[in-house]
Amino acid sequence: MAILDVKDVSKNFGGLAALKDVTFQVEEGTIHSLIGPNGAGKSTLLNVLTGLLAPDEGTVNYNGTPLTDITPHEINQLGIAKVFQTPAIFPEMSLLENVLIPVLASRDGGFKFNIMQTREGMSECYDYAEEMLNEVGLQESRNREARFLSRGDKRRLELALCLASRPKLLLLDEPTAGMARHETEQTIDLLRKIHSKGMTKVIVEHDMSVVFALSEKISVLAQGQIIAEGSPNEIKGHPKVIEAYLGEEQEEA
Amino acid sequence: MSNFSTYLKPVLIFAAIILTMPFWFPFLGGYEGLDTKILIWAIFALGFDLLLGYTGYLSFGHAAFFGVSAYITGLMLLHFSDNIIPAMIASVIVTLIIALLIGLLTLKRSGIYFSILTLAFAEMFHSAALSMFQDWTGGDNGLTGIPTPMLFGLRMQDMTVYYFVAIIAIILFYVAIRISRSPFGIMLRAIKSNQHRLEFTGVNVYKYKVFAFVVSAFYATIAGSLMVIYEPYVASEFLDWSTSGHLVIMSVLGGVGTLFGPMFGAAFMLYFENVVSVPLGEQWLLALGLMFMMVVIFLPGGFVDGVRKLKRKFAAKEEA
Amino acid sequence: MSGQLINQIFLQVMTGLQLGAIYVLIALGLTLIFGTLGVVNFAHGALYMLGAYLAVNIANSIGFGWAIVVVPFVLFAFGIAMERGLIRFFYNRPHTDQILVTFGLAIVIQEVLKWIFGANNLPFSMPSWGSGIVRMHEWVPFLEGFVAYPKWRLILIAVSFATVFGVFALLQFTRFGLIIRAGMRDPDMMKFLGVNISRRFTIVFGLGALIAGIAGIFGGPVTQVDPEVGMHMLVPSFLVVVIGGMGSIPGAVLAGFLLGMALSFTAEYAAIQQIIIYLVAVVVLLVRPRGLFGQKGLME
Repeated sequence: MAILDVKDVSKNFGGLAALKDVTFQVEEGTIHSLIGPNGAGKSTLLNVLTGLLAPDEGTVNYNGTPLTDITPHEINQLGIAKVFQTPAIFPEMSLLENVLIPVLASRDGGFKFNIMQTREGMSECYDYAEEMLNEVGLQESRNREARFLSRGDKRRLELALCLASRPKLLLLDEPTAGMARHETEQTIDLLRKIHSKGMTKVIVEHDMSVVFALSEKISVLAQGQIIAEGSPNEIKGHPKVIEAYLGEEQEEA
Repeated sequence: MSNFSTYLKPVLIFAAIILTMPFWFPFLGGYEGLDTKILIWAIFALGFDLLLGYTGYLSFGHAAFFGVSAYITGLMLLHFSDNIIPAMIASVIVTLIIALLIGLLTLKRSGIYFSILTLAFAEMFHSAALSMFQDWTGGDNGLTGIPTPMLFGLRMQDMTVYYFVAIIAIILFYVAIRISRSPFGIMLRAIKSNQHRLEFTGVNVYKYKVFAFVVSAFYATIAGSLMVIYEPYVASEFLDWSTSGHLVIMSVLGGVGTLFGPMFGAAFMLYFENVVSVPLGEQWLLALGLMFMMVVIFLPGGFVDGVRKLKRKFAAKEEA
Repeated sequence: MSGQLINQIFLQVMTGLQLGAIYVLIALGLTLIFGTLGVVNFAHGALYMLGAYLAVNIANSIGFGWAIVVVPFVLFAFGIAMERGLIRFFYNRPHTDQILVTFGLAIVIQEVLKWIFGANNLPFSMPSWGSGIVRMHEWVPFLEGFVAYPKWRLILIAVSFATVFGVFALLQFTRFGLIIRAGMRDPDMMKFLGVNISRRFTIVFGLGALIAGIAGIFGGPVTQVDPEVGMHMLVPSFLVVVIGGMGSIPGAVLAGFLLGMALSFTAEYAAIQQIIIYLVAVVVLLVRPRGLFGQKGLME
């Protein structure tokens, strides 16, 4: 069952076609990667999926619900969470509070005027937030302010923030960007570990080792269009893919 | 963390201080009734902190709510009934509607726009009160001739007014603490911390901002209403930008985001204006302005932060 | 069209230009500073006020001509000192802190002026060469009969236009201006290219203050010179900047004169005139949040 159905999505930026008739589907529970050379339109596509940009043409359906004209917070409430490329956390708040926020948001919805609710009333949420911190291995620092975390730990917190809202679809925007080898390995392990929850993941990545280690299906984007789709093995030797990446190499050479 | 230490302890301490204030305050100087005025501004500042200290949004327009509420209370007392209850209710309803409209409009934009626009709205109300509505507001002279306010047979004067204001202050302080520790309060702090991220975490940030703004305006409304009950006269200066300005100064001096800080700042500023200024003369505001700048530059956390830092220094010294 | 009507419209347009002139100058500095340094200078009205106070004192002691020469320099220096001594420490701090510190400075400047000169209005009369009227019908062909306009207000309009053109020329035709414009678009790129953009931005701050000083010199005789005038000029000027688009110079100029027109043409309806600028601002912001010429997404 396709949890995400993207059909003929086009997006223009003042004459430049960033996305052109992009069509693909993501099966529920799979890890689906989106790759492509620089400027292929991956970021644009992600922004369309998270509600930051509206497509000029085409539709994006999530479990049958169209994702157009919805604000980012509503999209999140539908069960789609995005892991930011640069870890986006709440710096002045403690780790526990950081993770508490998405938990509260999923319990209370987009808004709740619960000004008189006490800590007791939130105890379940606090417990769950602690669990989430455990999942990513950050429970020891739960009371530290998030801004004091190392970059790698900020990433883990970022992931915890996304997982805490129990999303059905997780969008990851270059999760290993700028990481050293061992950090990348850790991230791959972490992503594998949480995959057993049956969550669907769409990963936009540059690092091929991550893509081939995790993906069940890969869609290749080049110059705003999907040029190839298939399993990792099918994509590995795919002539069109090689051409797209080589083309980039040639330009740089 | 038990309910007692989190909620009741600070409230009880606060209550103890202000319920006994009429007995010890005279020893500090100041005219009779200054303690009431301090409490009213403390309420004003408390609500302001719920906005600035928690969401980080700096409003220069709170004078509008204070002033409009004062005018409505005054007009109700003058034309409708000298009973304060209908006057206060009318003030709250009208002012909160205005606050809602202003909030809906100004909170769509960034913090900078918000600060500028709230300043502009306040000036608009000020202008309107002096021109369009001067038949109602008394223009430059203000609203005069207001009868002594009554609360079902109780004349609102002197001690009666003081304790009426004090009880309201205690209740509102308790509510403010509850808000700050509630999920709503956590969301407000998250807005200040990383608004963009919060939007992507499924939170309707705009709605939280608007509600925070209205809650903050509610405190300003009550303060404005109480001001007229305390002193049955509405000065056009209530709507002047300087009212908003003083609010900002006292909140920052006291310590933004601490709830207690701005209230202390209110007491400090009013005390300074009325007591310390006697030797200093007209330049009390200059002195406060310089203090304000020093705090913003060197001690942004205000008085409360200063005390915390001192405590830590002494604690460190003891360990050494 | 009847001659009277033409005359009337002409006068109202002139008044519009004159009313807008001061706001344009203050808004010009505000938007320059914001566009380059990203700082919202709540002390800008106080700079105007400083200019006016300086000008009136110099004019009353050694002559208005000296005021024209001295005040811009003093304000320029003050602006530089302000940026180097205070503002630059706030670039990495949240915007709210910038607003707070400039607001604090505005209060301090206001109170110092009140201390030195008192709270009352300082009379500022125009120099003899500037007073009197101009027989507009001798200069403008389509006017009928005798149409007079105060000379000083014409001078104010002329100064305003001259300053705007001066800034425009500086930005368009000099190397300095080129760097400033490029820096407004992409300051990081400038640093990357090894251009010392911060020193130039400091100069821009001084320039903004200088322009406010010019406004003070020529606007002083028209508006009051009292400690409240700074803030009174600030709010409408902010609205001009916001309506024109923050960081946009043509926007500030256009919006300033438009606002002046709005004030002039509603002068008969006193009640509306008081709040017209706020109404216009609200409408513009509802319809086009970034202002007339603002960059999209900058402030949303």
